[in-house]
Amino acid sequence: MIWAVPDDDRVFKALADPTRRHLLDRLFQHDGRTLTELESELEMTRFGVMKHLRLLEDAGLVVTRRQGRQKLHFLNPVPIRLIHDRWIDKYTEHRVSALAELKDELEGIA
Amino acid sequence: MTTTTTATATQVYRVFIKASPEAIWEAITRPEFTERYFHRGRIEAGPDRVVSRGPDGELRRDDEVYEYDPPRRLVHAWLPLYDAELAEEPPSRVTWEIEPQDDGVTKLTVVHDRLESSPKTAASVEGDGWMFVMSGLKTLLETGEPLSG
Repeated sequence: MIWAVPDDDRVFKALADPTRRHLLDRLFQHDGRTLTELESELEMTRFGVMKHLRLLEDAGLVVTRRQGRQKLHFLNPVPIRLIHDRWIDKYTEHRVSALAELKDELEGIA
Repeated sequence: MTTTTTATATQVYRVFIKASPEAIWEAITRPEFTERYFHRGRIEAGPDRVVSRGPDGELRRDDEVYEYDPPRRLVHAWLPLYDAELAEEPPSRVTWEIEPQDDGVTKLTVVHDRLESSPKTAASVEGDGWMFVMSGLKTLLETGEPLSG
């Protein structure tokens, strides 16, 4: 899994910015949008939004596709899933589920 | 993921895999591979049809193949037969794009579209559905092991 390391770095860097997370949230609510649509919801220059989208695209979190004359931006959740699989599933699944069970027990659900 | 938003008519999923385009093509078109990461489905894709069967041999999908261009591009219909509600919706479309990059890495993009009139199908594959498949395929090809669980 050596390949996973530089990939993860780019994902974490891309996510370490509130504007970029906001852009992902916008795409989560409504996927497949143009730069103009995304720009209209942010207090930012077109150039600034483009720069953020480029970083998200480099990290694989946004994928662009041409549809007719438009370039649409899509949210790609797979890199986040890979981080989840790597860190949660592999190393901490048992601990996480033990904590979840403890929580259930303390809250009287189990 | 499906609870807070309306599923969209086009969904795009991309993953970079350290494997050749040929290996990825085999892994998505041959049942001995797909059963290890695609919800245990035995999927066989040829130039005309792509047929998916469950672990007990039950038919899950039997769809027309629109484009068959090994090892680069596979386009086929998607009509789930395993659920009566989904089977009533019009077929949607799945496109697999396989593009070699540098250093033995291959870019795999799945576009699931024509979902405008199939909202239940869209919701059923959105998020976890395709993510699980993409993540499992990457793990299988890079480590030889299917994902746990």
